[in-house]
Amino acid sequence: MAIEILINGSANADARFVSWALSPCRIRNNGAGAGGAALNVKLRTKATTKGGALVFAPDAATKPKDSIALTLPGTGAWVDFVMAGKFGKSSLADGDAAIQVLDGTTVLQELPCMVRIRKDANKLAKGERDRFVNAMAKLNNRGAGRFADFRNMHTNAGSPEAHGAPGFLPWHRIYLLDLERELQAIDPSVTLPYWRFDRPAPTLFNRDFLGMSDTLGRVQFSATNPLQFWTTDGVVGITRRPLFSTASAGANNVLTEAQTLGLGSDYADFMDMESNPHGLAHTSFGGSISSIGTAARDPLFFLLHANVDRLWAKWQRQFGRFDPAQDSSFDSNAANGGNRVGHNLPDTMWPWNGVTGAPRPPTAPGGGLAASPCVNVPGLQPFVRDALDYQGAITATSRLGFDYDDVPFA
Amino acid sequence: MLALEASLSEAQFCAAVGQLKADASKRAVLAELLRENNPVYDERGTAAVVRMRGWILLAIAELGLTEPELLYVLEELDNGHDAYLVAAAARALRTYATPAPVFAQLLLRALGNMRSRDDVVSLTTYGGYTIVEGSTARQEILRTFAWLGAAAREALPELEAMRGEAGFSAALKQELGLAIGAIGAACAEGAEPHDCCSPQADAWKPAPGAAPLNMQTVTLEDQDGRRIGFRELFTGKSSVVAFFYTRCTNPRKCSLTIEKLARVQRLLREKGFGDRIQTAAITYDPAFDLPDRLRAYGASRGLTMDDNNRMLRTVRGMAALRGYFQLGVNFIESVVNRHRIEVHVLNPRGEIAASFERIEWDEAAVVDTAIAAQQTGTA
Amino acid sequence: MATKKPRRSTAKPAARKKAKPASVPAMDTKMALALAANPKKSIAQRVAAAVQLTRTACDDAQLFDEILAVLKDGTVPSPVRLAVLQALQAATFSSPVFDICRPAYLSALRALVKDPDKELRQRVLGILAREHDGYTQQLLLEGLRDPKKAVVPAEKALQLLSYDVHSDAYPVAREIVRNPPNQRARREALRLLAADANSVGMFETILGNKKEAPEVRQLSASALHSLAPKKLQDMARKIVLDKRDDHKVKATSLTALASFGSDSIARDKPLIAKVERLEGNAASSAVKRGANQFLSKYRP
Repeated sequence: MAIEILINGSANADARFVSWALSPCRIRNNGAGAGGAALNVKLRTKATTKGGALVFAPDAATKPKDSIALTLPGTGAWVDFVMAGKFGKSSLADGDAAIQVLDGTTVLQELPCMVRIRKDANKLAKGERDRFVNAMAKLNNRGAGRFADFRNMHTNAGSPEAHGAPGFLPWHRIYLLDLERELQAIDPSVTLPYWRFDRPAPTLFNRDFLGMSDTLGRVQFSATNPLQFWTTDGVVGITRRPLFSTASAGANNVLTEAQTLGLGSDYADFMDMESNPHGLAHTSFGGSISSIGTAARDPLFFLLHANVDRLWAKWQRQFGRFDPAQDSSFDSNAANGGNRVGHNLPDTMWPWNGVTGAPRPPTAPGGGLAASPCVNVPGLQPFVRDALDYQGAITATSRLGFDYDDVPFA
Repeated sequence: MLALEASLSEAQFCAAVGQLKADASKRAVLAELLRENNPVYDERGTAAVVRMRGWILLAIAELGLTEPELLYVLEELDNGHDAYLVAAAARALRTYATPAPVFAQLLLRALGNMRSRDDVVSLTTYGGYTIVEGSTARQEILRTFAWLGAAAREALPELEAMRGEAGFSAALKQELGLAIGAIGAACAEGAEPHDCCSPQADAWKPAPGAAPLNMQTVTLEDQDGRRIGFRELFTGKSSVVAFFYTRCTNPRKCSLTIEKLARVQRLLREKGFGDRIQTAAITYDPAFDLPDRLRAYGASRGLTMDDNNRMLRTVRGMAALRGYFQLGVNFIESVVNRHRIEVHVLNPRGEIAASFERIEWDEAAVVDTAIAAQQTGTA
Repeated sequence: MATKKPRRSTAKPAARKKAKPASVPAMDTKMALALAANPKKSIAQRVAAAVQLTRTACDDAQLFDEILAVLKDGTVPSPVRLAVLQALQAATFSSPVFDICRPAYLSALRALVKDPDKELRQRVLGILAREHDGYTQQLLLEGLRDPKKAVVPAEKALQLLSYDVHSDAYPVAREIVRNPPNQRARREALRLLAADANSVGMFETILGNKKEAPEVRQLSASALHSLAPKKLQDMARKIVLDKRDDHKVKATSLTALASFGSDSIARDKPLIAKVERLEGNAASSAVKRGANQFLSKYRP
């Protein structure tokens, strides 16, 4: 008997990461020999006290369950199924969610994988926190690493591509995805945590995580935190002066999550969140994060934006706004002849498209979007429309491969 | 008369420029003062250099812009990113003897460059800082469009399109309307623009073909940490040599230069010269731009890096290198305080065959020049 | 100019526009501004109105000038002025919509760099410093050279100047390292100099000097990591092997080796043996943790 399983279309370990959205999988028994008998198996998650749990279904149309029964033909032919993380049961570490293939009570095969989910930074386990911080520090590598590209993408020169128009949310979604994929190339178990800026976050604003600011706004780290070596633009350290108590309050004057989700069921109304809470969250600090040209010098920037993106995802889920073909999912500004370039659904996005010169910015540092071993979208040069159906809710193959801990699939 | 040197305070410099203005026999000094490597800029911060250059441009605007200074003015319009300098340059251009159609293209570019960088500046104050009144760079640019008149004919469609854009305030739209009106009126009168001068032609001035005499002292290190002498590296093949540094904050300068160098590499390969002509990008900031910074910067901009295409820093002989290329750069301590755009073509003997400077250069022209230098050099 | 900018007014045809929930009272710019400026209203009400200006601040040039007037008005209570500033800063994130207001915004901020409200002044100087504003840099440098003219303490001025590596703050920063008015100013001066490749020698000396405060030595380690990474790796190794060195500096050294060291460290037997002892026996929990991180990468 030789049970083989493909997760996300691959037999490789680097593709064994799932989220709430459905991952296409296949299984076969390649050892029955010619004319061998069919084998009835059951797939379930190996029981562990901590760690992720998986759900399975024979196809995308069927509601996934904790286990499924499949018949593997004796011919060795592949049998398709889908698999996802069980909502609310994400992994803490790589490999802590194992698939078990059983014949009766006999375990035929175990395959470790990870339910890899973006989580509330203030609630991360220490291991998750340390892996994230280490990967960020390595990506920065004293200003000489790949992080420099992310810093250079978010400047005054590139700003019109990313702000002040409907492409704001899609652009930043792809930007975060690019960064997260680079982090995962360093450590595949890392996801981008989010900062819930409408709540206190004492665990995040801590010397072991993103640092504690002194009254001058100088961010202090513990001696074992590699972010003490953070360097951007050739300058060492992070300047960030919270104008609110990070331990006991959310950012100043920002809309709560409920208020943000209540901005309206049309994208054109929801877009107002660019000002509040997004803009006010940025400007609840003194220091680099409060100016557009320097914001990306602070790693907190990416956690702030992960929350902006989570709010969009939550809003999309609440109102069913994943379909690019649906008017209320985006603001095409059709009455006004469309948005400026980079902000319409069929437009490519700078800098991944490599297009330079007016009306695009003069240069496009960084090349194409990072690839993922788990999904092959949105490709090197994403379009604005690729950002909407991030879970593959409308078209299964549109799945971008990330999910938030409190935004389910379906 | 005060000697124009590094020890001058800014107040003294300001007074010295005043004296220059009053003395017609010293007119040539103003253009000299616009060269980055003029010692008057030694050890000054970038903001001080901006104040000083702005003041010179405004002195030129008072006297009337002449040929020797024209390239510096066009350079600011092409790639400047300080509102004070761009406004001063736009104002200076209006005092040139003949409006030329080529100015319109650079003014359009300056309008774009200033879009998210504009500011109110006083063009009567040293440094231009004002909290009361002044003009913005974009206002000055539009006024220069009005001066161009019929010579701006080809820019009319783009200017017209701007009327409907959100990025223009009411005041700016009024200025835009005046510019469009003036251009339209001049065209209606049938004024024929002079086609006096092309900035590309001006930019492309072969430097004196100095032989690389003192260059045996110059040692370079590439993106992989390999060290090589200047003469060894640049002998035997033609080379395209661009200068840049990774901490440059103006994307129209260094970041674009390296992206364009990557395009030069592609063009050379397409024409079958990928192995016969080499490219090099040398940093102005060798102490900071260590090999891994060079490699990362090149990789981000699509640059090919191998034995024939290198990113380099000087580990010995920076002074000789500066002298050889007459580099358009100056420093505060080891940090660049201002630099021009510059790309040089070397012949197979390592001599400068041509230099492209200050204004955005054309990749195909650089490639053709390098091929010509290669063919002449090996003939 | 029309009261609404074209994008918003045409992007939301009336038919598609839905009523906002009661929890988010929609307010137009005029109303919000009137409320923020109204001395008869409570400060909380005025602050709540002021932050509403974020979305629409730049829609109308005349209204924008009126908003700037409230910001500049010293008789308006500080929390209201700060909220107006917060709203305007947030509006700058919606560039290029904000581009048309940028010149007026920047010149209004320059008018506030000497405002008696210390908090407002500090925030304004920060915004301008991040734009590499020459006027602000000049003012900060003047204050460092002549403390009587200072608009912020030396340590703040140095921090703000460090936003631009091209400013001419290096000589004055070096002087402050030699003769600091306080230890924070010295720390910020060192941080500014961490962008200066000529300062490698100074950072080596400080990192190697056990009489220096651990915090300053750790900062020197970060500076060396940026300017001369190989030197830091060599010094970090020495510090880890040194029996008597400070535990915080030792933990920082272990972190530098663990995060950025080359794979050849795994073959450095004396170092590995030493770190194994530290993991088991070190008195400091930071050193233990640093040793553990180190060994999880290099343990044979």
